[in-house]
Amino acid sequence: MIDPVTRLEGHGKIAIFLKDDGSVANVYFQVPELRGFEKFSEGRGAEDMPQITQRICGVCPEAHHMASTKALDDLFHVEPTSAAKKLRELFYSAFYVTDHTTHFYILAGPDFVMGPDAPPAERNILGVIGKVGLELGGAVIKTRHDNHWVIQTIGGRPIHPCFGLPGGVSKAINEEERAKIEEIAKASVEFGKLSLKVFDDVVLKNKEYLDMVLSDAFTHRTYYMGLVDENNKVNFYDGKVRVVDPEGKEFIKYAPRDYVKHLAEHVEPWTYLKFPYLKKVGWKGFVDGKDSGVYRATPLSRLNAADGMATPLAQAEYERMYSTLGGKPAHFTLATHWARLIELLYAAERMLELVRDPEITSTDIRTIPTAKPDEGVGIVEAPRGTLTHHYITDERGVIKKCNLIVGTTNNYAAFYMSVKKAAEALIKPGKEITEGLLNRIEMAWRPYDLCLACATHSLPGQLPLEVTIYDAEGNEVKRLSQGI
Amino acid sequence: MKALVLGIGNPILSDDGVGIKVAHEVGKNLNDPRIAVSETSAAGLSLLDSIIGYDRVIIIDAIQTKEGKAGQIYRMKPKDFSFAKRVSSPHQVNLVTALELGKMLNLAMPRRITVFAVEAKDITTFSEKCTPEVEKAIPRVVKMVLEDLVG
Repeated sequence: MIDPVTRLEGHGKIAIFLKDDGSVANVYFQVPELRGFEKFSEGRGAEDMPQITQRICGVCPEAHHMASTKALDDLFHVEPTSAAKKLRELFYSAFYVTDHTTHFYILAGPDFVMGPDAPPAERNILGVIGKVGLELGGAVIKTRHDNHWVIQTIGGRPIHPCFGLPGGVSKAINEEERAKIEEIAKASVEFGKLSLKVFDDVVLKNKEYLDMVLSDAFTHRTYYMGLVDENNKVNFYDGKVRVVDPEGKEFIKYAPRDYVKHLAEHVEPWTYLKFPYLKKVGWKGFVDGKDSGVYRATPLSRLNAADGMATPLAQAEYERMYSTLGGKPAHFTLATHWARLIELLYAAERMLELVRDPEITSTDIRTIPTAKPDEGVGIVEAPRGTLTHHYITDERGVIKKCNLIVGTTNNYAAFYMSVKKAAEALIKPGKEITEGLLNRIEMAWRPYDLCLACATHSLPGQLPLEVTIYDAEGNEVKRLSQGI
Repeated sequence: MKALVLGIGNPILSDDGVGIKVAHEVGKNLNDPRIAVSETSAAGLSLLDSIIGYDRVIIIDAIQTKEGKAGQIYRMKPKDFSFAKRVSSPHQVNLVTALELGKMLNLAMPRRITVFAVEAKDITTFSEKCTPEVEKAIPRVVKMVLEDLVG
């Protein structure tokens, strides 16, 4: 009944143009545009923004809800109570456990467990579970399911939370809920450890994969961005944004309000996408190195931008990763998968710390705002990068202007560079363009897990992406489609 | 028998919200404790989480096909999406893969799943309203879902 398919505007397009000799001439990247969010927001009450903005993204509504709630704290000039901050962070840590679990097992897993040359029919979660066993598959589903229960219990609703308010949260948790969350956190720590062991067994012990991780085709020396706490340790929920240079030295560290001083956006004629870059370094094109303002904001970037992890098991894994990769910062894009698992373990450990905090069942969960609203900025680390919400209102709190820098956006330039470099390294004159080769090019962008038009979820229920390769005359020679 | 009517979509992206609107309307016409009405903007594995434990599930969503006419309604089974089932997705798994995964892991999967899909015109403009063509289809889909529930 349904002709395969579908959206003319609804999918990402990567076009690779070849020279006469069959090597890569250029690469272009386009994604669908979602129109009119700013206009949609104008005239609405700022308190509605945590509910509205979470609808932008079907993958990480929790991240938008949290960034928006923090922007409201700033907008209404109110400091949330200590218990409220802990509840928010506990909620957010549970969200990280679910999101990173999904990414690793659904996205990265098939490439490594099944191998880049496996036929597409096997390169998916079903193939992974078929190979690693039903027990691990069950653990993946259970970890997600249990942590969704945590998200629902604290956040008030499944998937789309409604607990964030300026100055705090709407609901406390009781001892019974706390005890159950503690059990889930303990199990999540074990699951985090198990996942790192899977990575060890499948990737690190396989020389071919490790060589690929360390290869030049998947390497870029860029600046790195991530939120850090007062000790410069990775933090997903709060802190300052720290950027390190390609040598790992701190370049800037700024409070959320100052983001406009440090970031600017570059525009290209071939795409409506805007490419953020570091203002002080400047835009020098799609190139890496210290003189280029291109930065990355990914799990690996967060680890690169910090001095360590704030929990013991994750810290030990952090040290082991950098020691294996030959020091810090690590520029290997594929190591992002490893960093993501270290973050998964950190999120689980942080859950356990927070749920054991005597204050977590406190009912002192809100500071009532009394000041007039004017302008507010909230920043969290979304799983796919630093997420910034910025609102300007009138004195009644009605939105006059709204600006969002979505996690994915930070990585557009690096994403483009990664695809181009992998294509240049892998597509060679006289070499047949196989499915496996194209999958290796896909592997260059998979670590970024871009949210393109993820706000739309119409059937068939996945995010379509298409790569087309053209010869020197502009004739199509190969097409790779996902979900189309 | 436990049944679930699940509207899928994004309520602030024009026609992408049609599934959620239909689910709301269906909910207003139901008074049976065995039938739950819910909504989600999530896809893939989250969809699996939503349907576990129900015997019967009706999903309503937007769709875009090559030759489709806005407002057209399709009544389908999950297998109608099998053309895409093995294609790895950049983000998630699709409906069929999610269902297969559930079966593989021996989860309490619904015995019967029906999908009502409404041909969308615009799914990229932020708006709480559907386009007129799709808006017009909503009462018809609601009627079809209610008939399906008693069928």
